[in-house]
Amino acid sequence: MIEALLQTLLNGAASGGVYALVALGYTLVFSVLGVINFAQGALFSVGGYLTFLLMGGRIGVNGALPGWGLPGGLPFWLALLLAAAGSGLVGLLVERVAFAPLRRRNAEPLLALITSLGAGVVLVNLLQLLMGAEGYAFPHDTNALGGLPDALVIAGARIRTIQLLLLLISAAAVVALSLWLERSKGGRALRAVAEDATTAQLLGIHSEAMVRLAFVLSAALAGLGGGLIGVSVSLPGPYFGIGYGLKGLAVLVLGGLGSVPGAIAGGLLMGLAEALVPSEASGWRDALAFAILFAVLLLRPRGLLGRRTVEKV
Amino acid sequence: MIDNGLLVQMLLGALLGLSVYLPLAAGQLSLATPAFYAVGGTLAALLSTRWSALGATADGGFPVPSLLLEMALGGLLAGLLALLVGRLVLRLQGIYLAISTIALVEIVRVAILNLPFTGGAVGIFAIPQPFATAAGYLLPALALLALAGWLCQRLELMPLGRAMAAIRNDELAARCMGIDTTRVKLIAFVLSAVLAGSTGALAAHFLNTWNARQGSFDASITTLAFVILGGSRTWLGPVVGGLLLTALPELLRPVGDARLVLFGLVILLGPVLAPQGLITPALLERLGGWGLRSAAGRDAEGAQP
Repeated sequence: MIEALLQTLLNGAASGGVYALVALGYTLVFSVLGVINFAQGALFSVGGYLTFLLMGGRIGVNGALPGWGLPGGLPFWLALLLAAAGSGLVGLLVERVAFAPLRRRNAEPLLALITSLGAGVVLVNLLQLLMGAEGYAFPHDTNALGGLPDALVIAGARIRTIQLLLLLISAAAVVALSLWLERSKGGRALRAVAEDATTAQLLGIHSEAMVRLAFVLSAALAGLGGGLIGVSVSLPGPYFGIGYGLKGLAVLVLGGLGSVPGAIAGGLLMGLAEALVPSEASGWRDALAFAILFAVLLLRPRGLLGRRTVEKV
Repeated sequence: MIDNGLLVQMLLGALLGLSVYLPLAAGQLSLATPAFYAVGGTLAALLSTRWSALGATADGGFPVPSLLLEMALGGLLAGLLALLVGRLVLRLQGIYLAISTIALVEIVRVAILNLPFTGGAVGIFAIPQPFATAAGYLLPALALLALAGWLCQRLELMPLGRAMAAIRNDELAARCMGIDTTRVKLIAFVLSAVLAGSTGALAAHFLNTWNARQGSFDASITTLAFVILGGSRTWLGPVVGGLLLTALPELLRPVGDARLVLFGLVILLGPVLAPQGLITPALLERLGGWGLRSAAGRDAEGAQP
């Protein structure tokens, strides 16, 4: 009983951590540009597949190069790190193609919604071309976790090591990012641009570079999430990131647009709420996030921890 | 290359484009169209397969008047749902409204997937056919599109349409002028839902099977792309966008697996190359004399200093 509850809570916290990663990614871009990067879900998929390939996974029969794989297999943590970096680069590309041209023209923000979605469609379908539509399981047999046992026994409860790692890694990423934003020179510059790009520019901060940095970090967080979910569950197909992208959106609004603590709290709340859905009703689990979101939006349109803004006329 | 089946799909796309356009014409970015489309389609699929009084025959035939009745009922149910939901979500603005309508789409999708009577992942199949061939569907689809287009055209000259345009330009100013903005936004939202619900009812028969995948987040985006790429300033824009973008993936079929990549590229590059969309008020002005000049376009130009 205790064991089941502990396992449930850990599962919830672990997926909540991943939701928080995705939501933080949205937050970074939103706070700097005031737009939502709808390619986030696709970048999540990219991270999952990159991790898979870096860990020595091979392309399946429906892919563009059946049986091809990178030589050797990197350990789990290194693959994850590199995949996050790779996703960050893809995120930079998305910014260059889908956001920068619109920004230069001062176009309606609505258009960025469409272009970023277009970028997402392109990414997901490129993945499908390259890897095929089939699902992939990670090569667990190669001692991917670097010598750690598959499961640990804590207080009499058996807990999957990967779930624990999932929670720890996402927590570490979230803490590192928060500290960086709060303390470092770069983080302060980024927050200054988020507050007021023109003033920041006058103060000698290179706003454009900060925007690019926000996109890279944001995409890296999504990619990290994708890698973590891939290793702990599997890769059910190129579209798997889209669902996480949507949940992340729900978390983002739940916590309050642009609020870093809000994104973290919202993610954990959402993960735990989902984990507590009884298994008889598991089909409805995917609607829970949106039902909560709906309720919160109606009671507190600014989100749980969002700032109130006043429209000046 | 374009057969009757594709033509019907293109018309359905144009109808959904108009459904997204209506709230946008009042400045409200709603992505809820697929939810209402799914509701209308599910209702039609359920009624025609379960309720023998509608006259489904053993060989899969279906009387045309029953189809029209279902389209009316599908629109009605979607409209009622919109009335209920709209009162709540239309208090939200901008991206909050957009995301809450995505939430509605997801809730409806999961509900259709899990309700005991909607057939789960497979959905409802063997929906009876009012027409023997795809060509038969052209007429009701065209008629519905003509009706919706006529309504949108009329709207531009009516107080309601002018109020919608005023809200789009500046909601606060519109309210100061004495426009009941809440009511106008709600009417636009309900009209959009009625159109999507009726379209769904027609689509359910045309497609023969109906399941939760019909109304998903993907559809939210594709239908919004119809409006943005077609041009969101006149009602002709979404129609053209819906027709073209529905046909595009089919026309790209010879390209093979890369076609969806190309489709994505069109959505990605379209707004960059033509920020106003294909059909702009200025273009209609130039074509002039067709009686298609839009009041919204004149307003927009009049507003320039």
